[in-house]
Amino acid sequence: MDPTTRGIMMTKRIHIAFILIAMHWLTGCVNTTIQEVREASTSLNSKESIVILSRKHKTSGETEDDFVGCVSNKTSGGEGALSVMSERDFMDELFPWFEPRTAPLNMRELTYVISRPLISEKIQAIGVRYLVWVEGTTERSEESGALQCTVVSGGIPACFGFLSWESGSDYEASVWDINRGITVGKVSSEASGTSIVPALVVPIPFIARVQNQACISLAEQLKTFIGA
Amino acid sequence: MERRQANLLLILICVVNIHWVAGCSSDASVTITTNIPNPLIEQVPINVAIYYNDTMSQYVHSEDLGSYGNHTIDLRSQISVFNRIFHAMFESVIPVDSIDSVQGRGADAVLAPSIEKFQFAIPEQTRKDFYEVWIQYRFELYGADGSLIHSWPVTAYGKANRLNYGGMQSEKSPALREAATWALRDAAASISFSFVRQDVVRQWIQQRVAS
Repeated sequence: MDPTTRGIMMTKRIHIAFILIAMHWLTGCVNTTIQEVREASTSLNSKESIVILSRKHKTSGETEDDFVGCVSNKTSGGEGALSVMSERDFMDELFPWFEPRTAPLNMRELTYVISRPLISEKIQAIGVRYLVWVEGTTERSEESGALQCTVVSGGIPACFGFLSWESGSDYEASVWDINRGITVGKVSSEASGTSIVPALVVPIPFIARVQNQACISLAEQLKTFIGA
Repeated sequence: MERRQANLLLILICVVNIHWVAGCSSDASVTITTNIPNPLIEQVPINVAIYYNDTMSQYVHSEDLGSYGNHTIDLRSQISVFNRIFHAMFESVIPVDSIDSVQGRGADAVLAPSIEKFQFAIPEQTRKDFYEVWIQYRFELYGADGSLIHSWPVTAYGKANRLNYGGMQSEKSPALREAATWALRDAAASISFSFVRQDVVRQWIQQRVAS
């Protein structure tokens, strides 16, 4: 094969490799399960908002900040969007009552907190109606395979092998109604998927974006649950 | 052409690897410049003088973690954090240079916070995902005559998840800063609740208000 033809084929292979790498964003099968338990009716008028919070009092198993941020963003956008106050803004407005050390862990403690005139006035002023407590994590398991990269003859780096792993997201959101002082229900989102990285010279990752899918599913369910 | 492309790719991979490896034993020096939100707490109807010793007002923690590098955490902004919480807690706050210089300043008591212990941990040590900071303070409340009314510890804890910073070696300084910031915030929350929950302090306040 003459050098010109070899060069053209190499260029085509590189182009194909880039296209396959880009496709990994679209592939990677994820299975999602949503559950909902309703204990009371819900409604949100135009002047009211919700806040999505994560539990921070534990030393392990804390929900990822970017997941809570993702749920907040998705819930406040798209069809059926709700008015969402950011977690940090809410904590700042109600400081020091919703810090990791001081945040109410159950409705009884919340009732005590909001019974204080300073707190109830502030909550009325900021217009928050529902607190959504999100708990859960995304974890990776069952890793298998191996990937090795080296420099082959000609100075070209190359990787060979096959990696795979399972990812699972399991989140639950408890919805508290501040006005009525009750828990109105729970929404949970589970997602699982397998990610693979085959490598024949160029590694091509196919990543199952389970956390992102869990976020989207939970946000959509929250919009339906609260906005109903 | 293909050899040039391959060489460029090899150089790129080498640069990424050097960046990654160079961060493995990085030092960290963080200066905490934080303040806390306006506290939503009921005021205690007393006038308090606040005394910070030099250790407290100039506190900088330096620690050599061996292969994990030198770490320096400048905590001097804790003074502004405490001042903000004290201004919300008490009717008036008077800064003083010593516990004895309160006479004639209109203060009912002197509050003297100090640092007893400071510890931190990084993920490389604990094999967890968190940068953690622990601070133990000692609060001493003196009467206007200089007599000790009560002394109690206040602990503060803050953490930052490394995954929120991309998991790269360049995460260390911002993550440590975040953990220390949360620790100061926790300290402010803790003192705002713990002050009136001290039985001795509560009784003293009641007597003071009644008189």
